[in-house]
Amino acid sequence: MAQKPVPVMQPWTKDFWTGAKEGKLLVQHCQDCQANIFFPKKVCPECWSQNLTWITSSGRAKVYSFTQMLDMVEPVFWEDLPYVIAFVDMEEGIRMTTRIVNCRMEDICIGMDLEVVFQPLNDEVAMPCFQPADPSLRLAAFSAETDSAEDAAAGALAMAPISYQTIRYETGGENDAICFITLNRPDKFNAINRQMAKELIHAFRRVREEAVVGVVVLAGAGEKAFCTGGDLEIFPSLAEHQSSLNWLAHEGLDVQRAISGCEKVVVCKIHGHCLAGGLEIALACDLLYARESARFGTTEINMGVLPGWGGTARLPRSMPVFRAREIIFSGRKDYTAREIYDMGLLTRVFPDSEFEAAFEKTVANIAAKKPVALRMGKEIMARSVDGCDMETALALERNAIQWLTYAPDTQAMLEPFKADPSQLTRQQKKDSMASDQS
Amino acid sequence: MSHSKLSIIGIGEVPTGIYPDRSRWDIIYDTCMAAVKDAGIHKNEVEAVVTVAPQAQPDIYGEISFGKIPEELGLKGCKNVCVCNAGGASTSNCLRLAEQLIESGAARYVLIPHLTVHSTIPLPDLINFFAKAGIDRQWEYPYGQTYNGIVAMMTQRYMHDSGTTAEEMASVVVSLRKWAALDPNSMFYKKEVPSIEKVLASGMVASPLHKRECNVLADGGAAMVVTSAENARARKSPAAFKLGEGSRFFSAFTTTRDYEKTGTDMRDATMEALAQAGLITSDIDIWNVYLAYPVGHPLLMDLLGLCEPGRAGKMFMEGHTAPGGKLPWATIGDAVGRGHTGSGVSIATYVDTARQLMGKAGERQVPDVKYVYQCTSGGSGMNFIASIWGRD
Repeated sequence: MAQKPVPVMQPWTKDFWTGAKEGKLLVQHCQDCQANIFFPKKVCPECWSQNLTWITSSGRAKVYSFTQMLDMVEPVFWEDLPYVIAFVDMEEGIRMTTRIVNCRMEDICIGMDLEVVFQPLNDEVAMPCFQPADPSLRLAAFSAETDSAEDAAAGALAMAPISYQTIRYETGGENDAICFITLNRPDKFNAINRQMAKELIHAFRRVREEAVVGVVVLAGAGEKAFCTGGDLEIFPSLAEHQSSLNWLAHEGLDVQRAISGCEKVVVCKIHGHCLAGGLEIALACDLLYARESARFGTTEINMGVLPGWGGTARLPRSMPVFRAREIIFSGRKDYTAREIYDMGLLTRVFPDSEFEAAFEKTVANIAAKKPVALRMGKEIMARSVDGCDMETALALERNAIQWLTYAPDTQAMLEPFKADPSQLTRQQKKDSMASDQS
Repeated sequence: MSHSKLSIIGIGEVPTGIYPDRSRWDIIYDTCMAAVKDAGIHKNEVEAVVTVAPQAQPDIYGEISFGKIPEELGLKGCKNVCVCNAGGASTSNCLRLAEQLIESGAARYVLIPHLTVHSTIPLPDLINFFAKAGIDRQWEYPYGQTYNGIVAMMTQRYMHDSGTTAEEMASVVVSLRKWAALDPNSMFYKKEVPSIEKVLASGMVASPLHKRECNVLADGGAAMVVTSAENARARKSPAAFKLGEGSRFFSAFTTTRDYEKTGTDMRDATMEALAQAGLITSDIDIWNVYLAYPVGHPLLMDLLGLCEPGRAGKMFMEGHTAPGGKLPWATIGDAVGRGHTGSGVSIATYVDTARQLMGKAGERQVPDVKYVYQCTSGGSGMNFIASIWGRD
């Protein structure tokens, strides 16, 4: 991801940014005419005095106006979407452009009271942003006690799910351990446009912050399709070489990266058409369950190109290469779920009439496991199948188990059993039986 | 007879849109030759070329700055050449420079061309340009501010203060697109005019601004030939005479703008222009407003007292500003209706002001038009220039 633009400073504005880095909002002040000045200048714009100093702002402000940015921003800001920009009027009589963070969009209004909060842009620059002055309007993920850079970023991200336009993001299941991310363009066969790509990337990063979630279910809305790949509306923009490369290498491919790099177990729920980029999204998931009536294929070769979001890389790694080649070279879009399963790709296929119940039961069982164990399992298996040698893979496994065993919460759970090890045996037997599906 | 010193006597324009086979120089040749022909003069009578700066197109900016237009067109009588840049207010300043050249005797006829070809600018360069033009690199841009974001905030505040509804804001687009649908030089010529519902159903770009309330970047160009009012009268051909002008500078950036004072200044600039022309608002037959996004239109109508306070949105909603309405407004449909050609929408508006006064506006011709109000603004609304034009 490209670096965020940093403020282009002038010698006479550096003190402002030094103050921001130290958590102080400074306002330039003319000691001759007493004017408060923003943007800071070399001389006072009122009287041309150079007798300038800095006063520390109270940090309190009111919203003059605001907007929620949802689209058509520079690529470097895509990962932030949606975000709120505002004009805020400071108590010191100056107006700033800033971002409002740590707040639900529907709670923001003109005249709202705010207070400054600093968000690190990089190691050297902190941006003055604003959050509601009323603590009850702040998002829980971003409290005054946890205002580190990471928490700040979490606060900004926490605004997102309510605003997605092309996907749905919900949590549910026992103890809210499952996050449901649903491609939600059913009238377009859930095809992926730029907006959906941005939102998926955002959602899969966002879910990292859901500590109790162990499993993400990725599904498609409507009856017709899980997903049919990249939306044809994008194609005209691909006529330009750089634009095409960006879509293949970043804007689109980053969706797969966000899924495969997601620290939760991603379960793909497939119905209807699962084609081209839709199949490639499925390939980035950890577990793939399909309705018997689902249909699969990669159709890119019919246009003289090839799957471009990992299809040529992941299909041959998911089944014998001779079968993968047929899928890619044939351009067929009518492979049945059973055929694909027999070729080695899917985790499991259920008859349509039994699918929902079987899928729910399967996912609920996995979601009942400790998220940290699922995360560790996903990571070491990914490294293992990526082709490291056996001893390395075994070392990874050994050390992962060791880490899990000595994780504080595991130790806390084991504590009561130390006095009577037989209790632990009984508990393990009970948990194992609960996991059985038959 | 007025005290006018300047008049537009020739206009040339090419359709706005994406035409891959039409180069920048095609546009320059076509518009300049059409304007000279329309003026009824010989090419060698042009004594100065004052060009609107081609924004975001550095190569041709350089070529034009150093005299390639008179060279290409063989303007053997040309004595002066320059480029003028004030963003969307460039054309107003080109006209002022031309006025001075004419008044000082340095030129009898001045050619004012403009061209924009956005479609061949590499996308990253285009994004880069529009992300930073008129947006401060230290205090605004690092927050992810954009033109759409700025206008969205202005719209949010205007709706809050005036009580204008989302439907009324969308009806501004409908009105502008109705003009555009009748304009052969618009990229929306003969295209379906979206309903209010369709405008509001388009995706939200920056709340409360929808996609259809934003501008589509396009290619285009236009040219004008201007001369002294005295010379224009003597020629006895249709012409547009500049009758008055007022202007104000506000601030380079939207953060530092005093919006209350901006409103007062816009009104004062307009009243100055009207006073110079010896007119009042009710004398104006067409309000040719160039403010790039929908919000400026009801805002200006309210400011100038052209409707009951707070009813500007309803004026658009009730169709008074559309073709055939009692308050003909932005007869090329502003940037929303024409397609955004950078600084080119301002020259297109001037060209249409002249076209209406010359009686050459075809289906869009406002009957018996005598006086046209015209305004421009540059950057992210840094300034405001109002002018009044008449048939004499």
